[in-house]
Amino acid sequence: MNTKGHKSIAFGELRRLLVGPEQTEIVQLKERLADPELLVKDVSEVLPEAIILRSSRDKKIAKALEPTIEEAIRASVKKDRRALADALFPVMAPAIRKVISSIILKMIQSLNQALEHSFSIQGLKWRLEALRTGKPFGEIVLLHTLIYQVEQVFLIHRNTGLVLQHVTARRVAAQDPDLVSSMLTAIQDFLQDSFGVERGEPLEALRIGDRSVLVEQGPQATLAGVIRGTPPADFQVILRETLDDIHLKQIGALESFDGDATPFEPIRSQLEDCLQSQHKQKKRKTSPLLFILLGAVVFLMGIWLFDFIRDYQRWAHYVERLRTEPGIVVTTIEKRSGKKYISGLRDPLASEPAKMLKEASLEPEKVIFNWEPYQSLYPKFQLTRIKGLLRTPETIRLKFQDGILHADGSASYQWIVEARRLVKSIPGITHFDEEKIIHIELRDMEIIRERIEKQFLLFRTNEAEIAPGQQNTIQDLVANTKRLCSLAQVLGKNARIEIVGHTDNTGSEETNMKLSRERAHNVLSILTSKGFKEENFTTVGVGPKEPLLEEATEINRESIRRVDFKVTLTDKPKEGVVRP
Amino acid sequence: MIKKKICMLGAFAVGKTSLVKRFVKGIFSDKYLSSVGVKIDKKKVIIEQQEVDLLLWDIHGEDEFQKVQRSYLRGSSGYFLVVDGARRATLNTAFTLQKRTEETIGKVPFVLIFNKWDLKDEWEIDDKTMDDLSKDGLMVVKTSAKSGQGVEEAFLTLTREILEA
Ligand SMILES: Nc1nc2c(ncn2[C@@H]2O[C@H](COP(=O)(O)OP(=O)(O)OP(=O)(O)O)[C@@H](O)[C@H]2O)c(=O)[nH]1
Ligand SMILES: [Mg+2]
Repeated sequence: MNTKGHKSIAFGELRRLLVGPEQTEIVQLKERLADPELLVKDVSEVLPEAIILRSSRDKKIAKALEPTIEEAIRASVKKDRRALADALFPVMAPAIRKVISSIILKMIQSLNQALEHSFSIQGLKWRLEALRTGKPFGEIVLLHTLIYQVEQVFLIHRNTGLVLQHVTARRVAAQDPDLVSSMLTAIQDFLQDSFGVERGEPLEALRIGDRSVLVEQGPQATLAGVIRGTPPADFQVILRETLDDIHLKQIGALESFDGDATPFEPIRSQLEDCLQSQHKQKKRKTSPLLFILLGAVVFLMGIWLFDFIRDYQRWAHYVERLRTEPGIVVTTIEKRSGKKYISGLRDPLASEPAKMLKEASLEPEKVIFNWEPYQSLYPKFQLTRIKGLLRTPETIRLKFQDGILHADGSASYQWIVEARRLVKSIPGITHFDEEKIIHIELRDMEIIRERIEKQFLLFRTNEAEIAPGQQNTIQDLVANTKRLCSLAQVLGKNARIEIVGHTDNTGSEETNMKLSRERAHNVLSILTSKGFKEENFTTVGVGPKEPLLEEATEINRESIRRVDFKVTLTDKPKEGVVRP
Repeated sequence: MIKKKICMLGAFAVGKTSLVKRFVKGIFSDKYLSSVGVKIDKKKVIIEQQEVDLLLWDIHGEDEFQKVQRSYLRGSSGYFLVVDGARRATLNTAFTLQKRTEETIGKVPFVLIFNKWDLKDEWEIDDKTMDDLSKDGLMVVKTSAKSGQGVEEAFLTLTREILEA
C-alpha cells in the first residue's frame, strides 16, 4: 500500500516533469471548452468566414438555414405583421407593379390576339382546325403561336421507373403518367444499353416530332420535362436545380420508396414551377381590325367635329344676326346643361328670333329665349307702329322722315281728321303732312256734282209743268241730291243747288222769262216735296238766253225747253264739323 | 395507392404478350416490343382492400438472355417466368432467366407460368414435373392466354406474394 502510494507520487512527479507545461495547457483547453461563454466567443470569431467558405463550395448552408429562416419569418409575421411588411415594401411594391402591368399587357395582347385570330384568314384556318380536331379554338391558337411550353414534368424513381410525382400544364391532355414514366425509363435504358453509354452519363434529351423530353438524372430520381416547341437554354438548368433540391429534401423518401408515392405530394408545386411557356410575340403586330376600328373612330370623330364646327359657325352667325337685327337687343347668352339661354329686349315688331333660328338651321329646342318687350326707335318700326296706330287704310302711303310724317294717297275725310288728332299723341312726330291726300268724300262729291249738273228735266212748248214720263230722272236727281247733301255735311261744306229754268226762242221775251221762272219753281216744288229743305236751293229763270243757240231746230228746241242745275259749294266754319 | 413493377420473362413465343393482353387493355402498340424490346401496360388490382397499380413490363423474348434486357429488370418487385408447355426447352430458358434475374436484382417474388394449357394434349411437360416444382416451393400456375384460364389467378398470386414480401 505504502510502496504503491510512493510509486504513485513518484509517477505523478515524473509526469509533472515530463508533460508539466503541456498539462497546464490541456487543463486550460479543457476549461476553455467547458466554458460555454468562451466557446461561443471562439465560434463567433470564425463563423462568418466559415459560412463564406462553405457557401462558395455548395448550397448546404442555405438549405440548412432555410427552415430556420422560414420559421423566423413566420414567427415575425405572427408577432407583428407590420414590421415585415415595412421591411419588404421597397422590394414588393415594384414587383407587384410589374406583375400588374404585365397582367394588363397580357390582357391587351390577348385581346389583340383574339381580334387578329378571329378575323384573319389564318384565324379562319385555325377555326376550321378546331372544328376538325374538336379542340377548343383557344388551344389551337396557343399551339400555333407557341414558342415552347413545358407540358408535363415527371419525377421518376430511378430504379423502378415508377412515377413519384407528375404535373401537367393546363389544356394539355396527358397519357397515364405511370406508363409514360415507365416507358421513358425503358427507352432510356434501351438507348444507354444499345449505344454503350455509361450509366453515370445521363441522357439529356429525346426528340419526337415537335416535342422533346429533357431529362435530368439524379442518384435516386430522374426529372423529365416534356416540352412542345423549342425549349429555352436554361430549362435544363431549372430541371437540374429542382432535382438537386428534391434530392436534398427527400433523400430519405427516395431511398425507401417501395411503390407508395404519397410522400412526394408536397413537391407538386415545385414541379409546377417548371411548367413554363412562352408564346410568339408576333401578336404585337396590330390586327387590321384594330385599324378598322381606329379608322371608324377617327371617321366618327371627324363627322362629330365637322358637325360641331358647322353648328358653332351657324350659332356664331345667328348671334351676330340677332345682335344686328333691328328691334332686338341681346343682353346675355348663357350655356347651361346643353341648352342656350338668350335674354334681351325685343320690339314686338322685330323679326321672330325662333323663326330666324330655323332659317339658320339650328335646333329650336336647344335655345330658350327670354325677351323683355320694348319699343325700338328704328324708323321702320316707327312707321309700322304709326301705321298701326293710325289704322292707316291701304290707299294711303306713309313716309316718316326727320320727324315729319308724310301721307300720300286717298283717304276718307274722317280718317284724315282722326289721323290729325292721333298724330299729336305719337312721340317723335313733329308734323303731319297731309297735303297730298285726296279726300275720298271730296272726290265723290265732285262726281255727284257733275252728275247733277248733267241732269235736266224737259217741258212741252209753253207749259210750266214738266213733261210726263220723267219719273226716273227725278228719282236719280233726288238720290244724287241726297248724297250731295250728306257728303257736304261730312266735309263741313254748304251745298247749294241752283235750279235754272229755260225756254225756247219762240214767243215773246217777257213770256219766256216768266215761263222759265215758273218751270224752275215747279222743279223746286217737286224737290221740296221729296223732303229737301228749300234753303238749299235757288231758282232762276233765264228764258231762251242760255245756252245761246244760233239755229234752233224743232229737235233742239225740245231739248232747250228744260230745267237744269248748277251746284255751288262753300266752306262752313270749322266748328260746324259734324261727326257721322 | 401503391405501384409495383412486374416483368414478364420467358423464351420467345411462350405467350408473354398474349397473357398481358388477356389481363389488360393497354395504350401502347406492340411495335414497341420489336423496336425498344419492351412494352409496358398498367393494371389496377385490389387485394384485401389494397389498391395496387401493376406496371407490367413485357420484354421481348430471347433465348439468349441479353444484356439489353438486364436493365429492364431493375426495380422490379416481382416477375413471371413464362413457359410454353408444349416446348420443354422453354422451361430450361426460364430457369436460366431466373438465375440471371436473381443475379441482377436479387431475390424477389416470381411465379412460374405454364402457358398454352388449352393445348394440353401437345404438352411436353408432364404434371409430375410441375408438381415437383411446386413442392420445391415455387409458385406454379397453369394458364391459357387463349381461353383466359388461370391468367387472373397468376397475376393475383404474384401481387399477393409481392405485398407479403
Ligand atoms: N393456343 C394457344 N396459343 C397461345 C397461347 N398464348 C400464346 N399463344 C400463341 O403463341 C404465339 C406467341 O405468343 P406471344 O404472346 O407473342 O408470345 P411472346 O412470349 O410474347 O413472344 P415474344 O414476344 O416473341 O417473346 C402467338 O401466336 C399466340 O397466339 C395460349 O395460351 N394458347
Ligand atoms: Mg411478346
